Amino acid sequence: MSDIDSLQPPKILKEFGTLHPINQTKDYLIKVLAEMGFREVHGPEIETEEFNFDMLNIKKSHPARQMHDTFYVEGKKNVLRTHTSPVQIRSMLETNPPLAITSAGKVYRKDDDATHLPMFHQIEGIYISKDVTFANLKDLINKILYQLFGNDVEIRFRPSYFPFTEPSAEVDILSKDKKWLEILGCGIVNPVVLENCSIDSNIYSGLAFGLGVERISMLKYGVNDIREFYKSNLDFLSQFK
Amino acid sequence: MKVIYQDLVNLLQTKPTIKDLSSKLFQLGHEHEIHNNIIDLDLTPNRGDCISLAGIARDLKPFFGEVKLPELYEGSFEELDLDFKNLSPEDCPKISFLELEVSELNMPYKPYLENYFKTLGNNKVNFFTDISNYVSYELGQPTHCYDAMGIKNQIIFDNKVVNSTFQTLFDTEVSLNGKNCLFIQDGEIINLAGVMGGKKLSCTTDTRKVLIECAFFKPESILGKSVKYNINSDAAHKFERGVDPSIQIRTLKRFIKIVEDHAKILSIKLKTCEYGNHNKISLPINTDKINKILGTKLEKREIINILDNLSFVIEDGNIKVPDHRHDIFNLNDVAEEIARVIGYNNIPSSPINLESIIPAHIISNEETIKLELINSGFSEVINFPFCSSDKTNTIKIDNPLDINKNKIRTTLKDSLIDNLLYNERRQKDSIKLFEISDLYSNKDNIIEQKRMIGIIASGRIGHNYIEYSQKINNKYINKVCDFLSGKFDFEVTEIDRKNLNTKNNNKIYYIEFEISNEEESLIAKNNIKKPDIKFIEYNPVSEFPSSSRDFSFSVTDLSKVDYVLDSLMNAKANNLKNSFMFDFFINKKSNEVKIGYRFIFQSKTKTLSDEDVSHSIDEILNPILKIDGVKIPGMHL
Repeated sequence: MSDIDSLQPPKILKEFGTLHPINQTKDYLIKVLAEMGFREVHGPEIETEEFNFDMLNIKKSHPARQMHDTFYVEGKKNVLRTHTSPVQIRSMLETNPPLAITSAGKVYRKDDDATHLPMFHQIEGIYISKDVTFANLKDLINKILYQLFGNDVEIRFRPSYFPFTEPSAEVDILSKDKKWLEILGCGIVNPVVLENCSIDSNIYSGLAFGLGVERISMLKYGVNDIREFYKSNLDFLSQFK
Repeated sequence: MKVIYQDLVNLLQTKPTIKDLSSKLFQLGHEHEIHNNIIDLDLTPNRGDCISLAGIARDLKPFFGEVKLPELYEGSFEELDLDFKNLSPEDCPKISFLELEVSELNMPYKPYLENYFKTLGNNKVNFFTDISNYVSYELGQPTHCYDAMGIKNQIIFDNKVVNSTFQTLFDTEVSLNGKNCLFIQDGEIINLAGVMGGKKLSCTTDTRKVLIECAFFKPESILGKSVKYNINSDAAHKFERGVDPSIQIRTLKRFIKIVEDHAKILSIKLKTCEYGNHNKISLPINTDKINKILGTKLEKREIINILDNLSFVIEDGNIKVPDHRHDIFNLNDVAEEIARVIGYNNIPSSPINLESIIPAHIISNEETIKLELINSGFSEVINFPFCSSDKTNTIKIDNPLDINKNKIRTTLKDSLIDNLLYNERRQKDSIKLFEISDLYSNKDNIIEQKRMIGIIASGRIGHNYIEYSQKINNKYINKVCDFLSGKFDFEVTEIDRKNLNTKNNNKIYYIEFEISNEEESLIAKNNIKKPDIKFIEYNPVSEFPSSSRDFSFSVTDLSKVDYVLDSLMNAKANNLKNSFMFDFFINKKSNEVKIGYRFIFQSKTKTLSDEDVSHSIDEILNPILKIDGVKIPGMHL
């Protein structure tokens, strides 16, 4: 029998809260890119059409600029940024190449259904220097995806279309159940965009890429419904400690 | 766009299998799904030239050889005397009209035409409209058919502001407003140009004399109209992406050929109108530059061969972009063409040399606050910024998804109250949340941006035998936020539950303040290290209610206390979601230890019955109550 006087009450197990899983993924991606040499920059979520569209070679006639795809604010004076690319434009205007930057944050599209939300998170990167090639882009994307999904992940590049990159690509990875999953968009920075930022496209070229943070989170954590991230349900959040 | 595999293969010199075809379509960037023999293509918006059988076949030429185009009418035309006035040639720089008169129709349709409707499940409308739809499928150029008996006076094309109703050929009424490209006769709109024709002059099964309009509209003149007026239109889809300005005569000849296959033609009359020259793009052949963009070492001969196969004309040291390509403006565009044909996966990888950025030793204020709060059991949430605030400095959304949420929030408070109530409804008894976000407001027409944090808490302090009996109060909140004192300007407020839809009466505490990363770093006083991020395997959350059971154990054999605690902590049972010790009391008088434990059960598939819970309780309690000196007073299993 133990002596009751020497009996100690049990230690209290500390209850920790949790960082939001989307921010955990975002922080992880920023760290991965920092290790690859990309410096993080920030920008506003309310943007001008000039920075969100014009400077990125998204013409007035592009469907993305329609009222049914973009949130306009204050009598069409500004938009809720539809991507984090305007942050890159601001950086290119402020900093002379060579530069390697990444921007992450909230972006907005006029969507709301089971697979799309009006607000989600993107992380983008851009590298501008002399003689940047599509071969460089492939190498960088491969490295990012190996870091995220392991060195044995199977990767495929296929042509796509983004007004701000040319050539443009979408990149898929092969899932465990042998299905190709779209994972990111990327390309060689369109020389029109460089010229818009007063960068001589005869001397400099660049590569750019963008990932959906929710998409990566869903794959990494195994969350099937994107809406779960924004219910603020403690049963959900507490799992990501 | 859906195409029938056999129709596509008929245009190709070699006859690839559907698998080979699919592989090359992916290589070219044409995403698709295949169902039976139908290829359902999801084309990128820059490739309007591919929205047809001939367009896709043309893009596949580098792999499957010369494209065999459909048969055309080879006879002559009479001149059409049509009074047409184009008041907006910049929106419609080229247009042709064909008038056809037939005497009799030989039905049924020839197999190629019949198969188009049958296999793709398209509805037949009338003879001329059916051919119009089929020709658009084959060649990508939409045409519009008017019953020519209704064309009696001048037809005007204009892009002008209107406020009137328009009866579409589908017999729906559309209220037009703003600027629209229109065809007008006698002051009446007969066609919403590039989108859909009108009911009044539409063809019927009785039509024997037809006026076929075949136009090139500038994509930006048509863009957004079908969405604006909720008209689902194949023509608008094509015009918005750009059609081939040089294909009109070929389209009309194909139209006549199909009519010839089915009817006796009495007359063929044509009128073409062109306003100015189409601006052709020409780029220098610079194979070094193309190789520099791609990081390849392709020979000039190889590059020229690819471009030639894609209908680019190489002439006088220049690459002449074909009329149907509206997406080629510079050598980067040309490089993409080369890369598509070579295959992106066949381009080698080559590393770039960038130095790693060493993470800052000092963690920012924002990160410090986050980590401190997490340490105190607070969880981070992220909310949408849309709200219904009526504050004057709120930024208004012009086109909100929900008219009741047409502003951008200027405080995090309302979102966090919603989050708290949501969790209370889900039987959570200790809720501690925070959110960090940029907030925007309009100050004298200047958008002001602030980085703000909101912290909300209510209910029990914690799930352990000391804190479970204590409710979150002002003292607790101030203790949690002690590390912020003197660094940030904030005050703890109590939120009144009066206007909240809840029966819960726990007090709600709230703090909101601006985070400025220019402030003195907090990390020096708080030795906090950023945790490594682990990607756990997520366990889906149940939508069914949970059931909890509390037990008070009496342990009289004190040597078994640790063992009992260990057994309770590691208890496993069906549907057991969570458990914690809410009481621990050493009773020196009776020489016993009292342990209070709560078990929470929840199923992913159903609402648990008392019987279900009892079974799980038995699984947990049986082994513990077999221990000598352990019992639950008043309970007999």
